[in-house]
Amino acid sequence: MTMLKIEVCVGSACYLLGSQDLIEMIEGLPEDVKANIDLRGSSCLKACGKGPNVKINGELISGVTPDKLMEIIKYNIQRK
Amino acid sequence: MSQLHAEVGIAQLSKDGEELCGDKVVLTQTPKGNIIVLSDGLGSGVKANILATLTTKIASSMLQRGIPLVDVVSTIADTLPVCQQRKIAYSTLHIIKISPAGLATIVEFDCPNSFLIRDGKVIPFPVEKKNISGKIVGVGVRQLRENDIVVAVSDGVIHAGVGGLLKLGWGWKGIAGQLRQICAQESSASYISEQIINCCQGYYLGLPGDDSTVVTVKLRKARRLTLLTGPPVNPADDREVVKRFMRKSGKKIVSGGTTANIVSRELGKSLLVDLSCYNEKIPPIAHVKGIDLVTEGILTLNAVLERINDSELVYVDKQFDGATLLTRMLLEADYIEIFAGKAVNPAHQNPNFPFEINIKSQVLSKLQAELQAKGKHVNIEWF
Repeated sequence: MTMLKIEVCVGSACYLLGSQDLIEMIEGLPEDVKANIDLRGSSCLKACGKGPNVKINGELISGVTPDKLMEIIKYNIQRK
Repeated sequence: MSQLHAEVGIAQLSKDGEELCGDKVVLTQTPKGNIIVLSDGLGSGVKANILATLTTKIASSMLQRGIPLVDVVSTIADTLPVCQQRKIAYSTLHIIKISPAGLATIVEFDCPNSFLIRDGKVIPFPVEKKNISGKIVGVGVRQLRENDIVVAVSDGVIHAGVGGLLKLGWGWKGIAGQLRQICAQESSASYISEQIINCCQGYYLGLPGDDSTVVTVKLRKARRLTLLTGPPVNPADDREVVKRFMRKSGKKIVSGGTTANIVSRELGKSLLVDLSCYNEKIPPIAHVKGIDLVTEGILTLNAVLERINDSELVYVDKQFDGATLLTRMLLEADYIEIFAGKAVNPAHQNPNFPFEINIKSQVLSKLQAELQAKGKHVNIEWF
C-alpha cells in the first residue's frame, strides 16, 4: 500500500503562518491513520508569500489550514 | 604554535553585610591577548569598590593602549584618592596578561602569589621582585602550555576562616591543596573558581569576613565556530560562500531554511528536517551531513538572544529546540565567525509578522555584542 507523503514547510514565514499546527494535527491523528502517512518537514517549499505550504505526494498546496489538510488526508486515505 | 585560548572564570563573595564587593575584576581583550586585572580596594563596601574599580579601570585602559608597566603602576599610585582615616591611598593590583601564543605575564602588587597548576602540581607562579616607582612589585613571565591553569585570589580567600574555624585562616597552601584536588579532574575555569569560593564561604561559616575573589585562567585550544545565515544577495556567489564556509575549521552551523537548501544543493547532500525537535515558537532543526547544526533563521536567532543570558534555560531545562542548541554551541565557542547573507525574503515583509523578522542585521549586531561581552571574539562578514 502506498503511503500518503506529506511535506510540511517549516521555514520562517510558514511557521509564523501556522505550519506547526499542521504538524501537531497530523501527529494527533489515530495511529491507524498515521500509519498511512509519511510526514516530513521541509526547510522551504519556495512559496513563502502564500504559506503555510504543504506538498502532498509532490504537489504543492498553499494556504493550508488544519481543517483543509484533514480533508485532503481523508480524501486520499479513503480513496485507497 | 597553534593558538591557545585563555578561558576565564571569576567567582566572588562580598563581606558579610555588604551589598557591593570591594574586589573588582576587569577582563579586556586586545589583538595581543587577554588582560585580566584584579584589584582589592581598602576596607569594604562602596569605598573599597570605588578604589578597586578605579585601579582596575586605569590599569586595563593603560595596558590596552600598550603603555609600559612602570607607568601603569606609578599612575595608579599617584591617582588613587587618600583614605581619610588611614591617610593612605590603597588598593592591591594583580595583572594577568596572556598572549595568543600562551605567553603569560603576571604583575603582583601587595596581593597573594598567583597559583600555577601544571600536570597536577600546584606551584607559586614564579615572579621577581622589582622596584617600580618606589613600590615593590612582583613581575613574572612564563610560557604556558595547553591545560595550564593560573589562579589569582584576593586576600579574603587566603584568610578564610581566620580566628574562627581555622586559627590562621585557609592560607596559600590550603588553597593549593584544594586546587590540586579540583584540577585532578577535567574542570572549566568557572567551575574551579566556583569550587574555591564555595570552600571559602564554608570556612567563613557563611559569613565572609572580607571580600573574596577567585580568578581562574585556563589555557586550552581555541574553539572555533562559523555560522552561515541568509543567502548571498547575488545568487552567483552561493557556491563560493558555501566553499569558504566548508573550509573553516571548528563547528559549523547553518541558520535559515533557504540557506540550508543552498548548502544542501552545493554539497550534494540531502537535507532532512527533524520533526522531533521544535516548539510553538521555534521551528524544527534539520540535518545535513558535515554540518553540526541546521536551524531555521530569524525566529531561532531572536530566541537565541532571549536565551543567551539565561543559563538556567540553556543548561538546566532539558530543552532541545534549535535556539537552545544554537545558544549552547555559541556559548562553548571562543572564536565565532558569522557569514551573513544580505538577500531579503519578500515574504517576510508581511505587516502581520513580528517586527523583528525584517531586521536580521540588528539581531546579528545584538548577538555579536552579547557574545563579545562574554569574552568571545566575534566577526560578522556580510555578502
